[in-house]
Amino acid sequence: MKKLTVISERCTGCKRCEMACIAEHSDTKSYIFASLSGFEPKTRIFVDSVINKPVPVVCRHCDDPQCVSACMAGCMQKDPITGIVTNMGHEQKCVGCWMCIMACPYGVISPSFDIVQAGKSEFAQAIKCDFCPNRDTPACVEGCPNEVLAVADI
Amino acid sequence: MRYVIIGASAAGAQAGEELRKLDKNSKITIISAEKYLPYSRCLISRFVDGRLKEDNLYFKTRHFFDDYDINGVLDTKIVKIDRTAKRVVSKDDEEFAYDKLLIATGSNPAIPKIDGIDLNGVYFFHSLDNANAIIQKFEKAKRAVVLGAGFVGLESAYALARRGLKVTVIEKASQILPNQLDVTASLIIQKDLESLGVEIILNQSVSFINGTDAVESVTLSDKSMIPCDILIVAVGMRPNKDLAIECGISADKGIIVDEFLRTSDPDVYSAGDVIEIQDISTGKRITSATWYNAVLQGKFSAFNMAGIDRRYSQAIGIQNAVQFHQIPAISFGKTQINEEDEQDYDVISVHKDNVYKKLVLNNGKICGMIFVGDIAKSGFYTALIRYGVDVSEFRSKLLDYDFSYAYFKENTFDQYDPYDPLIF
Repeated sequence: MKKLTVISERCTGCKRCEMACIAEHSDTKSYIFASLSGFEPKTRIFVDSVINKPVPVVCRHCDDPQCVSACMAGCMQKDPITGIVTNMGHEQKCVGCWMCIMACPYGVISPSFDIVQAGKSEFAQAIKCDFCPNRDTPACVEGCPNEVLAVADI
Repeated sequence: MRYVIIGASAAGAQAGEELRKLDKNSKITIISAEKYLPYSRCLISRFVDGRLKEDNLYFKTRHFFDDYDINGVLDTKIVKIDRTAKRVVSKDDEEFAYDKLLIATGSNPAIPKIDGIDLNGVYFFHSLDNANAIIQKFEKAKRAVVLGAGFVGLESAYALARRGLKVTVIEKASQILPNQLDVTASLIIQKDLESLGVEIILNQSVSFINGTDAVESVTLSDKSMIPCDILIVAVGMRPNKDLAIECGISADKGIIVDEFLRTSDPDVYSAGDVIEIQDISTGKRITSATWYNAVLQGKFSAFNMAGIDRRYSQAIGIQNAVQFHQIPAISFGKTQINEEDEQDYDVISVHKDNVYKKLVLNNGKICGMIFVGDIAKSGFYTALIRYGVDVSEFRSKLLDYDFSYAYFKENTFDQYDPYDPLIF
């Protein structure tokens, strides 16, 4: 199963992974347009800082995902073959109940209200790393200039 | 091996799924008193307000029983457990033999003793049957009263208000969500609900439910009267423990289980709302009707039933994520402190407009939290609570915007470690 690996010592805090993530998950595939769209651009990877040192925090697509156990709609699922954990593309709908956000120890699931404001859905949505289903390599990995992020097959 | 599970909600369905993953050959039977596929009770408010259809409520798939090769027996109420013969018996005398049994009978709404509680138009807000009955009533209904401003009461109030009914919520405590929130947090959520037109009356209870055939009004403790065509009663939950008690299994507030979720009978396990847990955030023995607890207990019980020891620890009674209208909120662990043990706790909070965050600390560890308005990263804090992580060296930073899991990246919280250099 594919997982992200992180060598945080190499990270300079440029946040290009976040920009690449925002672009990839926007309609226009552009960070600039996503930022100007009027909705808050939301990343699914987080370069946090610990006393001025950058540390990328990623979804680890857990083997025993707490977000899946907590999901009361059943939409958050771990794919038994790819191992990818996502709340999108299943029979069940995300209804924005936030149980997954309450349960994720790494804080990498965020609430998004944009889809309701845009009138595209009745419900706000939890958004998280989906391992970029339309790409061979996740956008964050490609966007990183310092090879901090990589994909490992574990 | 024959596994029998009584109950097909969060704990029962999860246990069935896990058992099948662990044991490909055994016979697994899930028996439900309800006639529906496993559905999420937590979603029925969104079904009542019309945003979800019945199909959307099935938290497992529509083919769940087939997919996991489970014998799903619906619309069948179990009335007796015969522990000597190791079988359970239904109301229609159907028998199911077991080698290992899981009691996941859940909880039912508490029924307050009020005159008129049996009138037409008085509903609980617990099951899909309840929801369908309420929807039937909508056409003619204009005004609703909700008794109880707990989680279920407010969910129902929000759903009815979205349907265009005039809704009044009656709560006997001095705040809404008295078990989950403190006063500051409750006022933010109360305003959010009121902005939708929901009226909330605190410090009052219902003395009489008036009407000849159907409910027409309620009389409050201050003698005032509120007309209504629908009354939703949501004053708490009671574990469905009688089945266990009648066959001699130990129970107090709920069914008593050991750390392997085994009851006083070594071949009988129990999980979900029906059991009593030791809350690590308060140290108290309680019952807890929350989805996440039930799923985890279902999972752990399955492992133990299949012979793989898994200790169930980290139990926390209060774990709620809510968003009724516009403002999200999360409460977790010990969120309320009595005056007499105030000196044992250290409280940190920030409050600006609709954003309120509060952490309750005890001996350098977080034991409770309330986040309102901004719930990002809240799971990181709940993990610090569940794992009992000492945070005393970060006390002044705990609610800073940039405080995050990055500070604890050496702590994997029992999952895959992306920072581990050995994986390359």
